[in-house]
Amino acid sequence: MESEPQKNGVTRREFFRIAGRAGVGLVVSIYVPEWLGVESTAPNLIPRLETPWQPSIYATLDSTDVLTVKAFRSELGQGTSTALAMVFAEEMDADWSTVRIEHVGANRAYGDQMTVGSRSIERYYDPLRKAGAAARQLLVIAAAQRWSVEPGSCRTEQSAVIHPDGKQMLSYGQLVSDASQLDPAKASSAPLKDPASFKIIGTPRTLYHAPSMVRGEPLYAIDVRVPGMLYAVVARCPVFGGKVVSFDGSKASAVPGVRRIVQIDSGVAVVADNTWAALRGRAALQVTWDEGALASSSSASIREGLIKSAPSVDGADAQTFKAAYDIPYLAHAPMEPMNCTADVRRDRCEVWAPTQAAQAAKQAAQTLTRLPDDAVIVHVPIVGGGFGRRSGTDFVRDAVQVSQQVGAPVQVLWTRDDDLQHDAYHPLSYNYVESKLNDASVPTALPTNRSFTQRGGVPTGSWRSVNNFTDAYARESFLDEVAARSKLDPLALRLKLMPAQGQQVLQLVADKAGWGKPLPEGQGRGIAYWALWGTTHVAEVVQVAVAADGTVRVPRVVCAVDCGQVINPDTLAQQIEGGIIFALTAALKASITIDKGRVQQRSFADHSLINIAEAPAVEVYTIPGTGRPPTGIGEAGVPPLAPALANAVFAATGIRVRHLPIRPEDLRR
Amino acid sequence: MALITLMVNGKQTSVDVDPATPLLWVLRDALGLMGTKYSCGEGVCGACTVHVDGEPRRSCVLTALQAVGHQITTIEGLAADGTHPLQQAWLAENVTQCGYCAPGQIMTAAALLAKNPRPTDADIDAAMTGTLCRCGTYQRIRRAIHRVAGQGGA
Ligand code: FES
Ligand code: FES
Repeated sequence: MESEPQKNGVTRREFFRIAGRAGVGLVVSIYVPEWLGVESTAPNLIPRLETPWQPSIYATLDSTDVLTVKAFRSELGQGTSTALAMVFAEEMDADWSTVRIEHVGANRAYGDQMTVGSRSIERYYDPLRKAGAAARQLLVIAAAQRWSVEPGSCRTEQSAVIHPDGKQMLSYGQLVSDASQLDPAKASSAPLKDPASFKIIGTPRTLYHAPSMVRGEPLYAIDVRVPGMLYAVVARCPVFGGKVVSFDGSKASAVPGVRRIVQIDSGVAVVADNTWAALRGRAALQVTWDEGALASSSSASIREGLIKSAPSVDGADAQTFKAAYDIPYLAHAPMEPMNCTADVRRDRCEVWAPTQAAQAAKQAAQTLTRLPDDAVIVHVPIVGGGFGRRSGTDFVRDAVQVSQQVGAPVQVLWTRDDDLQHDAYHPLSYNYVESKLNDASVPTALPTNRSFTQRGGVPTGSWRSVNNFTDAYARESFLDEVAARSKLDPLALRLKLMPAQGQQVLQLVADKAGWGKPLPEGQGRGIAYWALWGTTHVAEVVQVAVAADGTVRVPRVVCAVDCGQVINPDTLAQQIEGGIIFALTAALKASITIDKGRVQQRSFADHSLINIAEAPAVEVYTIPGTGRPPTGIGEAGVPPLAPALANAVFAATGIRVRHLPIRPEDLRR
Repeated sequence: MALITLMVNGKQTSVDVDPATPLLWVLRDALGLMGTKYSCGEGVCGACTVHVDGEPRRSCVLTALQAVGHQITTIEGLAADGTHPLQQAWLAENVTQCGYCAPGQIMTAAALLAKNPRPTDADIDAAMTGTLCRCGTYQRIRRAIHRVAGQGGA
């Protein structure tokens, strides 16, 4: 395998992509990290000729016009790396076909890198616009110097600077060496484009990695293979907080291919020559556990405790309305289960982590290895779904600890039952809402819930949209109950209570969904609105058909979003569609229950996800946002779904369900 | 351990494995074909779908021994250059989000279209229901399959 060292110390291999550009010829240049380990179908024909120009930490440009934008937020399928590259390329006036995206891994130069809370675009839109504009400006100055003309008389287009005569042009690549001589301060106040003239921002672009994904290329951490690597799975105590008392590895060691059995913080790891041997070894392993204090806890008893600590819903009267809503523990269950590969040596540590928190992963590795900052390298491959789960570092610590003990690179794989039974769950909560009503039986203010949760040793964490999911479910169900009591239309009531941006998305979604139009018997529509993190306004209308046996079918969901400037409309639609399906699993199908301190679900058979036959047709509409700052969309589809569904079920059946998931037995008539 | 000869993507290849090893792990760990994904390991998610003599099969519940003597096709072998009509349709409809389920989805859909070039929505439901996507790309998967069918099949 041909390879060459790069400046950042990572060995990379030339891979190919043809970026054609009139007047420049064909360019072959894209890199695939060597650890991906696939044989390239392309010969390594064209070596890199020079160090590319780096106008800022966000990108490099080489003399063949290839613009490499650094992806410094984790890519989980939410399209952030493509969107950030679009922003940079837009302001630089780059030809999109010359763009490639390179993931940087953990690096403090890029801020906290915590890829959570739908905030990558919201935060980095301005910095990347400015960086793109500055790069463009330097190229313009370089061209103007060559032509001895005023920079202001040149224009740019598709990765080229155009001479004032309108005929001569220099491609960006041709200007790389000139531009790299310039003082970047010359471009510190480069003007930004008028958003009305955007050519890339606001246009649909296929996700950059999609072609590799459909070919099955090894993009993910689970696909990492390094020479001499071993494979491990970990036996964990089935009860949260339990500890290893002792283990007998004699049977496990007898499994062909099993190399080592080592104890780590999370349990006992079986290390083998391949995944299958590790799995068989773990099945043969005998561990005695101290189950600890949680061995008698259950989600039912935790819930009982919460209800006792919350105000009573009894005692509502004409002026006050009270209700409470239950949300169970919820799992993330990304299709790529937790895993991590680590290679810990005496003086360095390299980690490949499917993480949303690159620097937390690095910090965890540093703490365990006591190595200095520059001796720990964390790569962040494409992540096969995150949803908040990967902001933790448990899977990283597993791999680092096992590699430390066995002195070889190790991939620790979590099986699906490990993943479901040792998640950091969306917490179980009991949500009490109370509201004073005015003479027209309308709440005197927008109600808010008091959310009662108790961790009680059960690991909890961020789950796509976090408390927005919980709070929206409580408030928006509550408002519908008030509307029904007061004989008000649920839309009309919301239009009275919500801020202007909320009213806009409510009106839009109602129009598109045909709100108020008659539906056949047994069907109903429900509406809900939420401002995700207070900034992205989203309203949904869910249509349901409830069968006599209580089975709920969801043929259609319509969504209206106001997220300011849209970067990639296709990504926006994908994220809303995906958020709706994600929330629908929680609203109708899967939850996590605990008995005797153990999670009762262990596979996609008893924690079943919405499938294609159950998936509604989703329509997404946006409020035009050109020129306004963009706000987050990765979680936006989630919060309104469950309340809109519960409200639709009520409209169809007259039955109000105050818990999730809504099950057929709740609705049997 | 035993030397087992498999026919994968048209090439004969011998591997020294425990014959009870699921084909999934032979592909991934022994042959370095990483396109076939692990997600559940018990036949309920479809991420590991490959073709065995043209039929969609879950490689996590098929042993290496059972695969002997059959033509195995993985996502890497579906089309030499990744230009199977479904792979193109996946891009045209911008189906993938995280993309982790894509190989299994595409292999399942390819087997469907090979038998039934003009599937109805009900046919798609029947063939694809067991192939899960946590990112929720289902309506785009449906559109991608219809797109290929509309072009005259795979
Ligand atoms: S991994 Fe084989 S069906 Fe899920
Ligand atoms: S695209 Fe992520 S699981 Fe399907």
